[in-house]
Amino acid sequence: MSKKVDLLQMVEYGGCSAKISPNQLEEILKYLPLPKDPNILVDIDTHDDAGVYKVNNDLALVLTTDFFPPVCSDPYEFGQIAAANSISDVYAMGGDPVLALNIMMFPAAKLPMEAYADILKGGFDKATEAGVRIIGGHTIDDFPPKYGLAVVGYIHPEKVITNAGARPGDSLILTKPIGTGIILAGHRLGMVSDDDLTEAKRLMKLLNKTGAEVMKKFNIRGATDITGFGLAGHALKMAKASRVSIRITMKEVPLIGNSYNLIDDGCIPGASFRNLEYVEKDTDFASDLDYNLKMIAFDAQTSGGLLFSAPDEKVNEILEDLHTAGLQNSKVIGNVSEYKDKFIHLF
Amino acid sequence: MRIVDTKGQLCPAPLIAAKKALKETIAGESFIVLTDNQTSFDNLSRFLKDNKADFQVSESAGVWSLTVTRSDNDLVQIRPEDYCAPKIPHFQQGNYIVVISSDKMGEGDDELGHLLMINYIKALKDLDKLPRKIVFYNNGVKLATKSSPAIEHLRDLEKMGVELMLCATCVNYYCLETVIGVGAVSNMYTITETMAASDKVIKP
Repeated sequence: MSKKVDLLQMVEYGGCSAKISPNQLEEILKYLPLPKDPNILVDIDTHDDAGVYKVNNDLALVLTTDFFPPVCSDPYEFGQIAAANSISDVYAMGGDPVLALNIMMFPAAKLPMEAYADILKGGFDKATEAGVRIIGGHTIDDFPPKYGLAVVGYIHPEKVITNAGARPGDSLILTKPIGTGIILAGHRLGMVSDDDLTEAKRLMKLLNKTGAEVMKKFNIRGATDITGFGLAGHALKMAKASRVSIRITMKEVPLIGNSYNLIDDGCIPGASFRNLEYVEKDTDFASDLDYNLKMIAFDAQTSGGLLFSAPDEKVNEILEDLHTAGLQNSKVIGNVSEYKDKFIHLF
Repeated sequence: MRIVDTKGQLCPAPLIAAKKALKETIAGESFIVLTDNQTSFDNLSRFLKDNKADFQVSESAGVWSLTVTRSDNDLVQIRPEDYCAPKIPHFQQGNYIVVISSDKMGEGDDELGHLLMINYIKALKDLDKLPRKIVFYNNGVKLATKSSPAIEHLRDLEKMGVELMLCATCVNYYCLETVIGVGAVSNMYTITETMAASDKVIKP
């Protein structure tokens, strides 16, 4: 066996923590005119997870891309996680992912080519699990390594699930526990148990496919996946696009392993502060909200779960389906109401 | 003074070191955190502010030095009698607040004024509808110290569900951080907001 490669030695910030600050992004996007075309069903106007383009009355394409630096030491696992994360955006829109292209930046002089092959193999295996064919790609010699996919999915033009679909009275369901950013940062400082790291990696590799199938079964209209902007950041995008207020009860949010204690020890990744800055002007924080729980709401997730808005009367049935499908941590973590004072209310 | 050197470290390592030092420091004591990274400095500042730790900043040659002083917020919260004494249940509260800006009531003889203020606070407990909150600023914060003759009445009011807000700037100005015995310190923004949101503000 060749020398063990440790991808984590190469990066300061891995996964979705490496995203540019959402405030900066919004500033820049202001200067880019949005193309006008009646066939564009969803664009960045609502800060959705993917763009949707109508081909005909029965078919629209979902397009998305995502890539980032390593979140774990093992190249194969990194490939799996990056692919699951890229494909997730299609699931969050209610689409069926079909095709993908690899996007790779790889320091050929610094890493053995086996690592390159292993990352691609991980991506390929995860894509295959999702029913996605990878039909090409592009690699640039660059340091540190980065990997992800550009994905195309199919969707019926009238069944698109967007950030703008949350309705007052709905309950908010989250399908995966939160804390990957905290666990990964803590791991790099030797503060995380093997069990917690394994659990975080399992969750990051877990496709949002089953969650999306349940959403479709119940005709859910408002959803997003939780990634780099954190639970509160993505909830804010949803609240803004839907013009509603979203209330999240942080005590109800399921957490990965020891995340809470890590935060309590000060293990708050830098990305959390960027996300906090983006969200706080639109957020009302309960005066007795625990500081650690507050910061967990801003933890950047890599390949996080789906957050969707569901009619109250269907919630029990939906949760039962999610639990049966293996998403045992799925939970109602808040609700949607008419817009009042602020977009987000954190309790 | 203890120095926590986080130069060369990236977030969250400096935060973890600062939090650890904060936990190990007793009220009134200070320590210094050093960092040479702008983001770490920004995040440390925000973190300390959110945790209501007092700190001062100086910078030279690209190294920030944060001198952190632990106030006794935490000690106020963990007063054991709070946990031992049974809560006094079910008191009605009106949508009004009381603002106490002095440790004396009315103008005239200081000693009399002080006595009146203590009696006023005591009488508040007997109202049919208690105030929602009591805000203390300027000389008023002195009434919330451990040796204040009003302390037991204020503790009772707190147990009855009345929130006691102490102006942080005033507590610091009079150097009362270590002797405050009731209530929680609050900033001017929250105090302003509280007054504005109330139907009625009573100033004795």
